[in-house]
This record gives sequence, C-alpha cells and structure tokens, in this order.
Amino acid sequence: MVADLGCADCTLLWMLKFCKCIEVLAGLDIRENVMKEKMHRLSPLPGDYLQPSERSLTVSLHHGSVAHKDPCMLGFDLVTCIELIEHLEATELEMFPEVVFGFMAPSMVVISTPNSEFNPLLPGVTLFRHSDHKFEWDRAQFESWAIHAATHYDYTVEFTGLGIPPPGTEDVGFCTQIGVFMRNHPKNGETVSSEKHTKHAYKTVFKAVYPSLKDEKYLQNAVVNEVIFGAEIIKRRLLGNFKSERKKHNETKLKFQPFKCCMRCSTNLSLAETEKCAADRSTEPFVDGNKVCIPLAKIFLIPKVNQLCGTFEKLNKLIAGKVALNSDGSAVIVTVENENEEQEY
Amino acid sequence: MTGRARARARGRARSQQSAVPPVGATSGQPPPRPLQPQPEPPAEGKLVGRGRLRGAAVPKSQGLEISAGFQELSLGDRGGHRRDFHDLGVNTRQAIEHVRESKTGTSGTTIRLSTNHFRLISRPQWALYQYHVDYNPQVEARRLRSALLFQHEQPIGKTHAFDGTMLFLPKKLENKVTEVFSRTRNGENIKITITLTNELPPTSPTCLQFYNIIFRRLLKLMNLQQIGRNYYNPNDPISIPNHRLMVWPGFTTSILQYETNIMLCTDVSHKVLRSETVLDFMYTLYQQVEEQRFRETCAKELIGLIVLTKYNNKTYRVDDIDWDSNPKCTFRKTDGSEISFVDYYKMQYNQDITDLNQPVLVSQPKRRRGLEGVSSGPVILIPELCYLTGLTDKMRSDFSVMKDLAVHTRLTPEQRKHEVGRLIEYVHKDDNVQKELCAWGLSFDLNLLSFTGRVVQAEKIHQAEKVFDYNPQFADWSKETRGTPLISVKPLDNWLLLYTRRTYDAASTLVQNLFKVTPAVGILMNKAIMIEVDERTESYLRALQQKVTSDTQLVVCVLSNNRKDKYDAIKKYLCTDCPTPSQCVVARTLSKPQTVMAVATNIALQMNCKMGGELWSVQIPLKQVMIVGIDCYHDTAAGRRSIAGFVASLNQGMTRWFSRCVFQDRGQELVDGLKVCLQAALRAWFSFNNHMPSRIIVYRDGVGDGQLKTLVNYEVPQFLECLKSVGKDYNPRLSVIVVKKRLNTRFFAHMGGRLQNPPPGTVIDVEVTRPEWYDFFIVSQSVRNGSVSPTHYNVIYDNSALKPDHMQRLTYKLCHMYYNWPGIIRVPAPCQYAHKLAFLVGQSIHREPNLSLSDRLFYL
Repeated sequence: MVADLGCADCTLLWMLKFCKCIEVLAGLDIRENVMKEKMHRLSPLPGDYLQPSERSLTVSLHHGSVAHKDPCMLGFDLVTCIELIEHLEATELEMFPEVVFGFMAPSMVVISTPNSEFNPLLPGVTLFRHSDHKFEWDRAQFESWAIHAATHYDYTVEFTGLGIPPPGTEDVGFCTQIGVFMRNHPKNGETVSSEKHTKHAYKTVFKAVYPSLKDEKYLQNAVVNEVIFGAEIIKRRLLGNFKSERKKHNETKLKFQPFKCCMRCSTNLSLAETEKCAADRSTEPFVDGNKVCIPLAKIFLIPKVNQLCGTFEKLNKLIAGKVALNSDGSAVIVTVENENEEQEY
Repeated sequence: MTGRARARARGRARSQQSAVPPVGATSGQPPPRPLQPQPEPPAEGKLVGRGRLRGAAVPKSQGLEISAGFQELSLGDRGGHRRDFHDLGVNTRQAIEHVRESKTGTSGTTIRLSTNHFRLISRPQWALYQYHVDYNPQVEARRLRSALLFQHEQPIGKTHAFDGTMLFLPKKLENKVTEVFSRTRNGENIKITITLTNELPPTSPTCLQFYNIIFRRLLKLMNLQQIGRNYYNPNDPISIPNHRLMVWPGFTTSILQYETNIMLCTDVSHKVLRSETVLDFMYTLYQQVEEQRFRETCAKELIGLIVLTKYNNKTYRVDDIDWDSNPKCTFRKTDGSEISFVDYYKMQYNQDITDLNQPVLVSQPKRRRGLEGVSSGPVILIPELCYLTGLTDKMRSDFSVMKDLAVHTRLTPEQRKHEVGRLIEYVHKDDNVQKELCAWGLSFDLNLLSFTGRVVQAEKIHQAEKVFDYNPQFADWSKETRGTPLISVKPLDNWLLLYTRRTYDAASTLVQNLFKVTPAVGILMNKAIMIEVDERTESYLRALQQKVTSDTQLVVCVLSNNRKDKYDAIKKYLCTDCPTPSQCVVARTLSKPQTVMAVATNIALQMNCKMGGELWSVQIPLKQVMIVGIDCYHDTAAGRRSIAGFVASLNQGMTRWFSRCVFQDRGQELVDGLKVCLQAALRAWFSFNNHMPSRIIVYRDGVGDGQLKTLVNYEVPQFLECLKSVGKDYNPRLSVIVVKKRLNTRFFAHMGGRLQNPPPGTVIDVEVTRPEWYDFFIVSQSVRNGSVSPTHYNVIYDNSALKPDHMQRLTYKLCHMYYNWPGIIRVPAPCQYAHKLAFLVGQSIHREPNLSLSDRLFYL
C-alpha cells in the first residue's frame, strides 16, 4: 500500500501502478483540477481486462490537505511526499508531522525538498525555484526538521539526494535532498482503531478497481475460457486424427461406420484391453455420437488451467454451470458441428 | 454455391475495419527521432493530442480546457491528428441549381420511421461566446494562466472552457472588453484582458466540436474504454472462448448538424478483441504449419491487423514483422543512451519479456500533415506485449467463427433501439452529466427521432419476353425466374473442364447437372473437353498452357479445396497471359444432392455472364445514359497499393458492362488513371451504340471518411475535363454520386406494433440528411437477421437537371442489376461489379487484366 501526498498530475502514481507488489495506491492533492487533468491514465487498460492479473490493485485519488487527517490514509506501508513540503504554509507545515508520522504512521516515509545551497548553480533562480514555494531549506535546516520529527514520532531517518552538483562544487550537496524515514516500533493496532472515528476530511475524486484473478468473477471467467478453448483444441486434434484414420480406412476400401461409439471400445476386446481402456477413459478424450467427451482430469492437466485453479476441486467448482458436462460431471462435452452446414452464405 | 460463399468471405477481407483508429499518435512536438527504430515513447507522460481548434498562435497551447470535471479533455482529445471524419465544410448542394430549393423525391407510399438520432436541444437564443485572453506582464505557463484567470469567478462564472488563450463561456460578459487584476504568489500584479472575439451560433463548426467533446467525456464518465474512435464497455464482455475471442459492446457517437436539427447519432458497436497476445498466436500457428511456411503464413495473417499494447491504451497497425530483430536488440533513446527492448519495458512499464527470441513487429506511423516534413520513424512492438484485435482473414472466412460472432453482434431493430436507449437514459440520469450539460444550456431529446419516409414502387424483372413480379419484402426473385429463358445466351461449343482424380466425381456431377439445367434457360451446350490434372498448381498451369486455344470459350476448374494460391495462379493466367473466361468450382459445393441442381443453375448463369450473355433487366426510362461504377481495393500486402475498378454500362438495358482498372501506388493520385478509363469507356460505348451518351452518371464507391473534399476538388474537374477533350460539340450531362455503405445510421420501421427493418425500396431524404449536400438514403436489400444497413448517396456534382425523385429511382433500379445475385443488393450493380473486379485484381491477378476481356463480366 503506497500513498503519494501532493501527487499533482499523478505521474508518480502512474509509474507505481506497474509495480507488481503494490495492491493499493492512493494520491492526495490540494488542487483537484490538476489531479483530474490526467487521472484517467490510472484507469485499467483494455489489456488489464483481457488477461486479468494475479494481484489486485485499487487506485484512488483524494482531494484534500496534508494538514488534515482522514481515515482513508490509514494502514499504508509507504508514504511519499515528493517536493511537497516547500509548498506548505507555515500552519500546514506545523500540522504535517502529526498527520504523516503520528496519524498515518506508515512503516516508511520518503520526503524530498529542494536544497537551497544548490540554487546558485541554477541559472535564473533568484529567490525560490518555483513561485509557489513558501521556503527552501539548506541541508542543515531540513535535517534538523527531519530529525526532530523522527525523534518525536519514533522514526529513524537517513538522508540522501538526487542531482549531483558539477565538479568543483561538490560541497553544496544534492540538487534535491531526500529524507527516508523508517518507523522504529512495530505496527500498533491500537492507534489505528482509536483513530477510526476520525471524520472524513478528503473528497474522493477517482477510484479504479483493477480486474484481478483474486476476484472470483474474473477467475471464473479466465478458467472457463481456458477450459473451453483447451477442450476445443483437444476436440480438433481428436477429430483430425479420427478423420485421417477414416480416410485411410476408406482408401483401403474398408467399410467403416463413423461416429458410432468410442473407437476403442468395440465388443470383442480381451478383458485386459477393456481394463486398460477403462483406465484410459478417465483421462483420455473420446468421441461419443456427435459429441466429444474430454475428462476433467485431462482438462486439469492443461498448464494454464492447472495454474489458475490449483486444485481439482476448485476447477470443478469454478466451471459448474458454465461449461457443458456429461451426466456424472466428470467430463467436458463438446458438440461436433456438422461441417456441411456451412456454405450457406 | 460456387464461388459465392467464398467470394463473400473474400470480399470482406480487410476492407471492413471501419473502426480502425488513427494510430501511432505521439505528441504534437515530435521528439527528435533517432536513426534507429524505437519503441513508441512513453507518451502517457507527455502531452498528447492537439485540436484543430488551435485558433490564435499560442505558445504551448495544450488544447481546450473545459470547466468542472471536464478539464482533462482537450479538444485534441487523443489521437494526435484528427481527421475530419464527417466531411464538414464541403458544400456541394449550393452549386447544384435544381436542388437548392428542394432535394426531396415524391413517389412511393409513406412509411413511419425512427432512426438512431437524438436531437440536441439548446435553450432559445443559445450561443457560445468566444473570448481572447491577454496577460500583462506576459505569463507563459498555461496552468498559471488559467489559475490567475479563474480567481475571478465574478464575472466569469463557474462554467467555462479555456485553452490558455481562448476562453469559451455560455454567457455574454457585460462589456466587450473586460479587465481584471490578479496577484501571483510572488506578489506580482498581472492585468488580464478578456476580449470578446466571436459569438458562435449553435451550428458553428466550433460548437459542433465542442458538443462532441462534451459527449465523449460523458462516455468516459460512464467508465467506457476508448479503443480507436469508439467507446466500449469492458465490464460485461461477451467471450467466445472456443475461438479465443472477446467482444466488447460499445457505442459509436457523433453530433452533427443534420437537415433541420443538430443531432446525436449513436449506434451499437462491437469490438472484437482476442484474449491472446501476438506471441501466443505465433506459437499456435507454429504448431499448425510446416517450418518453412511459418514466416510467410505469419506475415500473411498478421500484417494489416491492429494490435493493442498491454502497457498503454494504444492501437497500432502491423505493417511488417522483423525476423532479424528480437527483444534483446537495442535502440537509442531520445537522450542518446542505448537500451535494449527488454530493459526498456522492464524499466518503463515493469513488463517482463519471457521469450527473448521472438521477432518484433513494425508499425509505420501514418503520415501526418501539418508537420513540416518531420518523418517519424517506424514504431517497434514486442509480440508478447501486444494483444490482437479484430479478426484475421482466416477467421473471417471461417463460417463457424462468423456464426458464433453473429449471435452476439447482430441485433434486431428492437434490441438495437433498447441498447441505444440505455445510453441516452444514462445521460439523463447521471447527475454530473446533467449538471454540466445544464450549465452549458444543453440537453438531449429522450426519444429516437421519428419521421416519415417513402417506399418506392417495386421493380418488375424483365427476362426475355417475360415480366416477373416477386415479393418485394424478400427482395429476391430466384424462385420466380428459375428455369426460364434469359435475355441473351452464349452457346458453349468449345469448353474445357479441369479436374483431379479426387474431384472427378464432382466434375461429372457438374456436367450432368449442367446438361439438365441449361436447356430451360436456353443455353446450348456441347460436351466439355475433360482434362485430368494432378493437385499441384503447376499441373493446372501446364494443362492450361497446352489446351487453351483461341477458340476456347470457357475454362471450368473443379478444385478440391479453396487454396488461394492455386485459384490465384489460374485466374492470373486466364485473365492476363491467355485471356479466357474461367469458372472455378470447389468440389464440396457439389457434394449435397439436394442442392446440386440449384448450384449447377447458378454456375450456368455465371458462366453465361462471363462469356457476355445477359440475364435479366429492369425498365430504365432514361435514354442514352452511360452509368459508371468505381470502387477501390486496398492491397495491404503489396505496400498498400490501391486498385480502382472502373465499370461502365454499354447499352440501354444496363445488361452489358465495360471494365478497366487503375493501379495506384502509395501517394499517387487516382484521377489520372480514371481519365484514361473514362475515355476508353466512351470509345466502347460509341462502338456499341454508334453515338455518344448524352448523360453520364458516375457512382463512386470506396471513398473514405474525410476524402470528400479531394473528390470534389480534383476528381470531378478531371471528369469534366476528360469529357471536354472528346470534342467541341460534345456536351454530355454529368452526375457524380458518392456511395457509402459503412454508416452508423439505422432506420427502423413502425410496423405491426413494433420496430422492424424498413422494406426494400425505402428512401429517406429528410431529417437525417445534411443541409449542405444533395443526399439521400436507400434501404435496398433485405436481411434475414439483425438490422438492415441503409446506403448513403451523396450527389456531389449534377448538371443533369434530373429530378431528385428520378435520381433516387434510377439508383434503386440499378441495385437490381447485379448478375451474381437474383435479388436486390446494397449498392448499384456497377459499384458491386467494380468491387468484384478490383478485388480479383488486388487479391489474385496483381496486374491489369487483358483488355480483350473488358466487355464481359469475367470477374464475376
């Protein structure tokens, strides 16, 4: 679970949605319009529906201020605040540590902010890098603020940065300074429950639930599709063999009655052969009249089906009522269409 | 049916991808392209799309921004360059004197119709006010510009659309010039001047575009997914697992100015997607074909298809497969660094590529206009990361696939009305949508537009001395005319029949039955010269080379399957090197005893036509008229070469046709070739009739969306010039009619208390036509399942002074004259002939057929 505070046009969230380990993504910004401008790229893509993924993913966007607490921000593992704090008014900045470290209390927080010592190296920057910045800190200011917050809320902080200064000016430090905060104490269930009663302060402006195999509906669809397609392939292979055998018979002038019964089970087989046949029947597909029976055991061997279902019972459960089965439910039935039916424009 | 089923299957090939979107759109400013091909840039992060509505030259205008919840949509929406799909701004009617007042016909009986159009209602005196916004001192950033402007909710209001320079409001500000002052966070004071530049009436093109944007936004709010031009619902897909197909129901929508109203036209659309990637498809194919044919088959199946990428919502056309590349190959990024595809996709989208030996797909972005000669390189795609969309040719010709699909995609008029109604209902129910529409002073009618159409009189079929009536409801006279004498027959004295050992039975069945059925229709027939060949194509060709002489009237080949290469080779030889009419029959069509007589009859009729015989006719009152049909075939395989089929009538009864075809290479204009064809057709007409036609009526099919202007500006003047060049005194009247089959317009007839398909002969020339055109719709054919598609006729040039009613009747009559189908078809026969010719040439012959065949329907 990752939350991006000050997500702006959602670029970071969009990059994060490709991370397979993330199941919940949330964004928060004070400017609703900026957020809405490109929010639709956080929606699932057609491909996500065509082959639903293993993981579940929910993306939501909230409109609100980091100075307010909202229970929808609870339970996150990572909270990112990229170039956020310098946009905060003094009062908001004062509230910020309490909201992020005290209330949200994720295991990890990443905060980045401009390093003002770097500014002389940036052409055209007079006071601040951006007209909306309320302040820009040097390393000492940021570090003291960060250490103070970390100590107060029992976090450990480490500093790093991005943007190496040109040779000869190394002593100004990174262009952007970053504080990585790790929570020292393990997850405290009590805080969460006690805060449950906090009122909702944010407005949800976007929510997308990605199709996932964790959702029974999509899993069932996927399994049913694989089973029917697999059965179709087996049918074609079987009939292909069947026909070529038939052709061979015809060519050698042997009169052969097609589609009478399972070819193997003619009457005058020896007992041993019958037994073998019976054993085969549990996994081998066979033709019965104008139907092809494909035992579920055989279907279960299809790698994709196997992987999706895991167990035979699960397969049974998922395809119940969705795939045509024989009377005892042990085999998939595929009807063989009369090929001559075609050609009618 | 001989070639019918096959031809139909083939006739559909590829030409039907109407939903093909503009692909490969990147940002307005193309990044500097490296020399090497590169995967498409991560355009999600960049600015995409730019509207036509760019107005004043604005630095970094990012498209029009629409207020409250609509901001994320720019006028460019997506797709980068947007073609004018609706041919707006082509006003042809004003130049046609006799229809300026009225373009409606009069004959026939009236019929109550509904159509899938909804009126857009704007409040009285509605207008859209366009303002220009200036900043002093200058502010560059669009976001800041808009933030500064909208600090002034007074006087601007909550509803607005702003692109950085142009501001649209639903109300008029008190003064023509309004000045306001804003203060930036830095404490800078900025003067903003808002100047009224335009008061747009509801019918202005800008407004129309504006409505369309709003409506597309609504579809997004409904959580529909945009694929290409249309929106689809991914939540309840219809899956057809035995073919690995997935059908998403959706809608096509467009808002346009029609005859008397601005209306929303919306139809149900189905997107066929495949739940397999291109790589899966390659694996499956690999198991099915021999190693040496794999690449060739793969290319044949895949090239021309549209694929959808896994990692972003974009579609691309596959133009080539690069077998020498693989995902380990590197490309140069815009920043100059080299990276392999595997690493790129891993880094950019966290997509793993498992098969490192797969080839890569190449897509050529469409040429974009307006960008000074910047050619963007090809886009490289990884098969594993692309889903297939649409159907392959093989699937299209697979009866069971099409049948399974039709169950879901063919909707009866009642079902269609229901689905369309659901969309409009949603528009009315959704609060956000209503709020926005309300703020702009707009709303949509809840009901389908209803009006009155006409059903013209049914045509009688004239065949030899007899006149036949038939049930006009079914638009088919095969039963009535079966086994009756034809207008003119060609005796079969000297003909060849090629067969193999396996098709011998079928061949003799064919001959026996031909002898049974030909006497009744009046065809005299000698025994065929029977030639046995073996299965190989070379064997057929050798036999043809040895046995076909100048006396051979016809060659019949009984084939054991419909392998295209064999068919192509036979047709190519007999249409070019050794011009002889030919008939190919697949043995299986003769295998059912109960239908064999009917099949033989059809083959006999077809053979007769190919040799220059005539079957039936309808009454054509106009004298000395030459009808021309033109259609195009786009050869996707051979470098997108196009072939135009050109067919012109030779006699009064429209029973004999002259044909030529034109090859057009990429980027070459079609008109030069058409001039040559028209000249040749006039010469042929002269030698047939000993005088020149006094009227020429051209039915032009194969015109894409947005190409109308080119046609009006180039093709028509060329026709006129060509006629002028014939002689000083020669002054024939010319009419040019653009024929369009692919429409979203549907008509439903109120009959028996429910909605049904309008009967054949229904003419519509009110309400849903366009005021700036001389156009009409005809429903000419009858369908057994689903909803019938009307055909749209747009008369773009006409100095014939022919009354609209006569023009409509003539057009309908011509739909009766296609000899491969004893019934009424969707388009005038010359268009269908031109289509058949272009298709045969494009698919099989690839060369101009021998001119000695040009007065016969050899391409049937």
